[in-house]
Amino acid sequence: MNGRRAVLLIGSARPRGTSTSEVLGGHVLRRLADNGIRTRAFHVSRCQRPDKERSLLQAVDEADVLVIATPLYVDSLPYLLTRCLERIAEHRRGPTPRAEVRLLALVNCGFPEWEQTRTALDICRVFARKAGFSWTGGLGLGGGEAIAGRPLAELGRRARHVTRALDLAAEALIAGRPAPPEAQALLSRPMVPPLLYTAIGTIRWLRTAHRHGALRRLKDRPFASR
Amino acid sequence: MYDLPAPTLEPTRSSAIHRAVLLNGALPGDETLNPIEQSLLTVLLERRIHVRDFQLRNIPLAFCQGCFECWTRSPGLCKTDGDAGREIAAAMIASDLTVCLTRVTFGGYSSEIKKALDRMIGLVSPFFRRIEGEVHHRTRYRSYPSLAVVGITSEPDLEEERIFRTLVARNARNMDSPAHAASVLPVNLPPSATRGRLEDDLQPVLRSLARRVA
Repeated sequence: MNGRRAVLLIGSARPRGTSTSEVLGGHVLRRLADNGIRTRAFHVSRCQRPDKERSLLQAVDEADVLVIATPLYVDSLPYLLTRCLERIAEHRRGPTPRAEVRLLALVNCGFPEWEQTRTALDICRVFARKAGFSWTGGLGLGGGEAIAGRPLAELGRRARHVTRALDLAAEALIAGRPAPPEAQALLSRPMVPPLLYTAIGTIRWLRTAHRHGALRRLKDRPFASR
Repeated sequence: MYDLPAPTLEPTRSSAIHRAVLLNGALPGDETLNPIEQSLLTVLLERRIHVRDFQLRNIPLAFCQGCFECWTRSPGLCKTDGDAGREIAAAMIASDLTVCLTRVTFGGYSSEIKKALDRMIGLVSPFFRRIEGEVHHRTRYRSYPSLAVVGITSEPDLEEERIFRTLVARNARNMDSPAHAASVLPVNLPPSATRGRLEDDLQPVLRSLARRVA
């Protein structure tokens, strides 16, 4: 035990154990724990009550490392995480000098291109600057539905490069240096070829709608006059 | 049941020819956006734009749960009923212009704006299309409103401003907005200057509305 602490903020509103964000952030957290760092994970959706929020803020206060793992919502961070970051920044405002806390952001999106996460990663970087964290780096992952809450080990060869990228990011956090460009280069490789990924995505939407008895209503325009 | 209707502001000069939805994303306790909202309303109403004004912090609005049931179980409708989500979605799709007023928050929007926008994904289809080399969702409706976002800052920050403008452009692309505009204003700008800046910065969307009439 080296006395260091790490906190993971999971930005997905999906139930525990079902989100890609939890899988990615959880992997980094396990690597940190393997190196003697004490770890805690918070689902921001469960931290809205004042007592839970206080607990989260205190954990961040005591942390040496902060990891944000989140899905992309409407080109940026989801509401729950945005609210959480607003609260953290407000809480840390003031003249009190603080020890260095390193921040790593992991943003995944359902579109095949990881580049679509750039704006959200930029927002995380500005948050780090404004709230007094040291920016270790941001990693974007496209095609996140190829993971869909399943452990990376279960995905075999398809996700080996994702595991390696997260390991590199965890090593950077432990060593206190920026995440290497190689980590993003690895994550840029699709787990599933983009055309196949969108075809599978389409079939999934159709199957789920069929299961819900909504297949014939998929093109409904409930608010149309247009 | 949601029973707090957003006020509708009518132009005084003559009958309205366009409709806008205004989402005010001020956080609880932040009154600094009020004078800017007044300037914004003046600019819109003078152009005969009928404005539906949602003060997001004062209305019941749940957050998106990421369940995608608005795509696969009740297409086009969020499963959460009894709050303002469906009313905002209906107003947006019936309007010619969506205007968001927000503090620039780390380069993005305030949490209040995000809470509303996250709930709007049912306005597009789950299926995919390709735009400029990127995969996006197909449209659900025949047409969508233009998008204008007014961001307020306490101090100049070029990095935040760049991210904010990129975000507005990306949102407009995803929501098939025919035109978009971003305005970044300092919080302490005098009202007359605010109005002038808004008129300049919102030109792309105001011109687009004027063209639709012509």
